[in-house]
Amino acid sequence: MIKKFSWLFLFLITACAPWLPVGGPYESPSHRFSVVLPEKWMKLRAEHDLLLSKDGPFLQYVLIQERPIDRPFGHTRKTLHRGMLAQEAAQLIIDEISSDRSVNDFRVIQNRPARINGQSGFELVFTHKNRDGLVFKTRYYGIIAGDWFYAIRYNAAERHYFDKDIQTFESILSSFELREEKTG
Amino acid sequence: MKQRLIAGIVCAAVALWSSAVAASSPDARPGKGEEQRLWLRAEEEQRIINESGLLYEDPQLEAYLNGVARKLQPPDVLENLPFQILVLKDPHLNAFAFPNGVIYVHTGILARMENEAQLATLLAHEMTHCTHRHALKAFRRLKNFKPANAFEACTQDAPGRRGDLLTLLGSTGALAAITGYTRELETEADTVGFQLVVRAGYDLKEGARLFEHLKEEIELYEIKEPFVFGTHPKLQKRVENCKRFFELHNVEEGSGIKNSEIFLEKVHRVLLDNAQLDLKAGRFQMARKGLEKYLALKPEDPRAYYLLGEVCRQQGDQERAKALFGKAIALDPGNPDAHKAIGLIYYKVGERGRARRFFETCLALSPNLPDRAYIEGYLAECKKE
Repeated sequence: MIKKFSWLFLFLITACAPWLPVGGPYESPSHRFSVVLPEKWMKLRAEHDLLLSKDGPFLQYVLIQERPIDRPFGHTRKTLHRGMLAQEAAQLIIDEISSDRSVNDFRVIQNRPARINGQSGFELVFTHKNRDGLVFKTRYYGIIAGDWFYAIRYNAAERHYFDKDIQTFESILSSFELREEKTG
Repeated sequence: MKQRLIAGIVCAAVALWSSAVAASSPDARPGKGEEQRLWLRAEEEQRIINESGLLYEDPQLEAYLNGVARKLQPPDVLENLPFQILVLKDPHLNAFAFPNGVIYVHTGILARMENEAQLATLLAHEMTHCTHRHALKAFRRLKNFKPANAFEACTQDAPGRRGDLLTLLGSTGALAAITGYTRELETEADTVGFQLVVRAGYDLKEGARLFEHLKEEIELYEIKEPFVFGTHPKLQKRVENCKRFFELHNVEEGSGIKNSEIFLEKVHRVLLDNAQLDLKAGRFQMARKGLEKYLALKPEDPRAYYLLGEVCRQQGDQERAKALFGKAIALDPGNPDAHKAIGLIYYKVGERGRARRFFETCLALSPNLPDRAYIEGYLAECKKE
């Protein structure tokens, strides 16, 4: 999933997709969620994904995804469904990432329940290495709300970059608000 | 009939020529120039694979696989090209060779084999790619392509996962693992490989059975994999080449070594670990098949019952799952995962009292459970009622 996203990103870059400066309140084109974006960051929007970065997405990024729960994943045949426990959804995300051969040395550091916008979800913290052995750390939050799955993650090179913007990510996360289909 | 006869004669000629080459000029050490560069590239790609965390580390299994490989080649070949067989934690059906004699075998294909003769057939095929410099030939063929197009050209039949695999394997590995080589080179690898298998005294009919079995599995489970041994037409070709070889060489049923018991004893852990990989990938039928095969060998292993229970639970068969988790607990009362899994089943159907009992046992057995916070949350909910 991580690598897939990188390929998507590269594709968009070559297609001259614009990076736009951001800051302040943001509402998704689907009107399903809103979030307050940090100042002096850049954003790239692709269908259901919102990508934010300050130092460049190969070093750090925040990604907010909204996906229909029945959309298949790339590396596991398991699918999300309504009524799934947050723990089961978290396990599915772990299975998806650990079944991806391009994700090297994947290690889950933390897996616990979390409340996001007042709803039951999960929080994962994990690391992986890229092809050159550089360690990346990800904090990943997920919630199922109605027929949609929302994933909000912060990924950065573990050394130096991860700690640098973790507080900014936390403020993005705390501002995340679902506009409809509240459950949980 | 006439066409089959001509094909047979051609095949025999290729086989004779190939075995003559293998026996008389087995020096597969890299020459200068592009072959040396190819080996250096292969070594760099192997370093990345070996550091990826995907290597299945089992020294005894590795020693066994390398022992089988050594039986297949004459000493002078081994002296020039010291083969090394490594296992990758990957549930897909594949094995591939780098030009320098390093061969990777996926746990997925090992788990589908029944005996040493089948393993020998696969290894002999891959070893022939090395001894007959197929990677070099393939790269020379692609030399006139622009670098960006070369990979695309050699993987055009492969569905999905190209980007992921190229990232991990690099171009040399991806060529060997995904597309294989041209039909002629693959046929050569079959023909020479079959000769090696027969010469080492193995039952080649078992090799044919492996390819037939993989082909049936691909059809039955509608497997779509981008690998050489995971695609229907390529397996079909292996089966056809086997049959042609049998006709030409009058290979008799049961006339060779199978070594089923030794093989299954050496690979039994692979069955269990690979089933877990299949389970993660949501390949439930394959996970179930692997676990049932494992339990036929080791009927008292609680972990296998737990994993089979997970297959059932995740597929929605809660009653069967409970029975299997119960069996796992009966065999190993200290198994926290089985307690947690039964607790989850009861919790989800609202039987909070029963769920609480299993969750409490789970936490007592494993106070540092990685997902402890979830269990504590469930227990708090259970206590409200």
